[in-house]
Amino acid sequence: MKAPIISLQGVHKYYGEHEPRLHVLKGIDLDVADGEYVSITGTSGSGKSTLLNLLGCLDNTSKGAYLLNGTDVSSYSDDELSKIRNEDIGFIFQSFNLIPQLTVFENVQVPLLYGTRSIASTTDLCHQVIESVGLSDRSEHRPSQLSGGECQRVAIARALINDPVLLLADEPTGNLDTDTGDEVLALIDDLHQQGRSVVMITHDPDVANRSQRRVDLRDGIIVEAGAA
Amino acid sequence: MIPQKQLEMVRMGLRNLVGYPMRTVLTMLGVVFGVGSVIAMLALGAGAERELLKEIGRLGIQNIIINSIKPEEPDTSSQRSNWISSYGITFKDHRQIVDTIPGIEKALPVHVSKKTVWQGSKRVEGTLYAVTPEHLDMFQLNTSVGRNLTHLDDEKLSRVCVVRSGMLTELGIFQDPIGFPLNIDNETFYIVGVLLDDSFLGYARKALSVDAKSSEIYVPYSTALRRHGTRSITRRSGSTEATDVELNQVVISVTDLDQVLVTARMLGSLLERNHPEKDYELVVPLEVLSQRQKTQQVFNMALVAIASISLLVGGIGIANIMLATVTERTKEIGVRRALGARRRHIIAQFLTETTTISTIGGGIGVLVGIGLVQVLTFFTGWSAAITLSSVALSLSISMAVGIVSGIYPARRAAGLDPISALRHE
Repeated sequence: MKAPIISLQGVHKYYGEHEPRLHVLKGIDLDVADGEYVSITGTSGSGKSTLLNLLGCLDNTSKGAYLLNGTDVSSYSDDELSKIRNEDIGFIFQSFNLIPQLTVFENVQVPLLYGTRSIASTTDLCHQVIESVGLSDRSEHRPSQLSGGECQRVAIARALINDPVLLLADEPTGNLDTDTGDEVLALIDDLHQQGRSVVMITHDPDVANRSQRRVDLRDGIIVEAGAA
Repeated sequence: MIPQKQLEMVRMGLRNLVGYPMRTVLTMLGVVFGVGSVIAMLALGAGAERELLKEIGRLGIQNIIINSIKPEEPDTSSQRSNWISSYGITFKDHRQIVDTIPGIEKALPVHVSKKTVWQGSKRVEGTLYAVTPEHLDMFQLNTSVGRNLTHLDDEKLSRVCVVRSGMLTELGIFQDPIGFPLNIDNETFYIVGVLLDDSFLGYARKALSVDAKSSEIYVPYSTALRRHGTRSITRRSGSTEATDVELNQVVISVTDLDQVLVTARMLGSLLERNHPEKDYELVVPLEVLSQRQKTQQVFNMALVAIASISLLVGGIGIANIMLATVTERTKEIGVRRALGARRRHIIAQFLTETTTISTIGGGIGVLVGIGLVQVLTFFTGWSAAITLSSVALSLSISMAVGIVSGIYPARRAAGLDPISALRHE
C-alpha cells in the first residue's frame, strides 16, 4: 500500500476557549492513500463541513495531528496554510465559487496569482487545463454566460491548475441537475483514473457510491468506514 | 512578488472597476475635483508669481529707487494760495550719494513735470520725464520707430524727445512722426523716436511713478533742466500752485546683488539725515519681491489647503465605497483565500484597486484642472501657469489618497475568516 496522502490522527475540533464549548469533531482517525477516491457522508450537523475545512487547510485542528503528504500541518500559520491550499489542494465547491467579473481564463488563472510561477509562463498551461475540461471555446466567457455544469468544469480546471496532491470536492453536484451532475462526476472519475487523490463530501448515497471507499460521519465520529 | 503579477492584479482590478462603471465614476469624482482644484489653484498661484516677477523684474532687482514725495502739510488752509512748495531729493543729495556710498554702479537722476503739449490747435497734458540715456536702457524703454535718446543729445542740449504712440494719435499726427516738432511748455522739441507699446505693470508703474502710458514724453535730462528748470506751476480753478522739486527720482544701480540691502540701508540713513521731514521714499525692488513672494506663498498654501480638503473628501469617498465593496465581495475574498491568497495578497488587491481608482481619477482631475484654468483665464484674464511639478504633485497626492483610503477596507477584507467568508452569500 502506498503512503497515505492524508492522515488524521485523533483529531478533535471544538469552538470556543472555555466550557461549555462546541465540540464538533471528537477523535477522528482517517487515512487516505495516494490515488484513492474517498467519499465522506453524513447528515447536516455531523461535522462534515468542519472536517472538510480541516482537510482543506482552511482551519487548524484543536487537538490531534493532520499529516498532509507526510507533513504535519496542524500547527501551521495562516500564511503557511495559504501556501498549502495554493499548491497542494484543489477545491471544488457546491456553488462553483467562480469570480463573476473575471472570464473563464482569468478564473483559472487566479491560483497562479498567489503562487511562485510567472503568469507568462503559465498561459499555455491554462489553455491546456481549460481544454481538458472541454471549455476551449468558452475561455473568454463570463461565468454568468455559462451553464451550471460548465461553471463546475471551470471550477475543476481551476482546481487542477497547480497540479494539487488532493482534490477536495464539497457536494460538487449539489447545484446541478442529475444529467449534468453525472457529467461532472464522470470528469472526477476520469481524474481519479489518472491517479489523482479525491476526497468528496456528499449527502447523496448514489454519488458516494461512485467512490472507492465511504466514510460515514455521525455526531463528530466516524461510524462506518468501508468499501462503497 | 513579481511585478508582472502586480500588473495582472492591476488588470483584474481594472476589470472590477469596469464591471461597475457608474460606481467607479462616482467613486472617482471626489478625487477628480480635488485634483482639478489643486491644479487650478497651483496654476493661478504660479501665474500670479510669474506676473509678480515680471512686474518687479522690470524694475531690476539690483536697483534701488528713490522717489520724492510731497510731505503732509500740517495746516494747508493758513498757507498762501501761491506758495511755492519745495521738497524732495536735491542735486546735493544726488552728489552725496555718488560721492559717499560705495558699490554704486549708476545713480540716474530723473526730473518729472506736468507740461502742456501743443501741436497746432491740439492740446495734450503730458508728463515730461527728463532722463539720462541709461535710464531708457535700464527699464527697457525701446523705440519701435526712430532712435532713442543718446549721450550726445544730453551734451548738446538737443531739444529732442521720445514719445508714446498714443500721444501721436491724440495730437493727430498720422504721418511719419520723426522730426515732427512739438511745443512743450513754449519750447519746441523734435520727435526722434516712438516707444514700443508696452507699459509697466502694477507695482512697477507705481514704483517708477509712471502714470498713464500715452502721456509719457522722455527728453534729455540736461536739456529739460536748461529749458524748463526745476520749478513747475500748475493752475487749478482759482489758485496757482507752484512746486520746486530738484529731482523727482534717482535710480541707483548697485554693482553687487549681495550688497543691495546694505546699500539701501546706507542710502536710508543718508537721506534720513538730509531730510528729517521724510519727503522721499526708498523703493527696493529686491525687498519688495521677497516680501511679495512670501505673501504669495502663504496665499498659495491657503489655496492648496482649501483644494486639498476636496481631495480629502475624495479619499473618504473611496474608503466608504471600498468598505461597502468589501462586504459585497466577502464571498470573492473567501474564494481567493481558499485558492491560496494570503492576507497580504488580499490587502494588495484592495490597495491596487483603490490606488488605480484614485490615480485614474487624479489623471482625469489633471485634465479637468487644465480645462478649468483655460476657462478661468479666458473669462477673467488672470494669469495662470500649469507647472509640471504641480501635475506631479497632485498625481502623487492622489496616489497616496488611494493607498491611505484603501488601507482600512483592505485590512477589513484581509481580516475576514476564510471559512465564514466562503459560506457568505
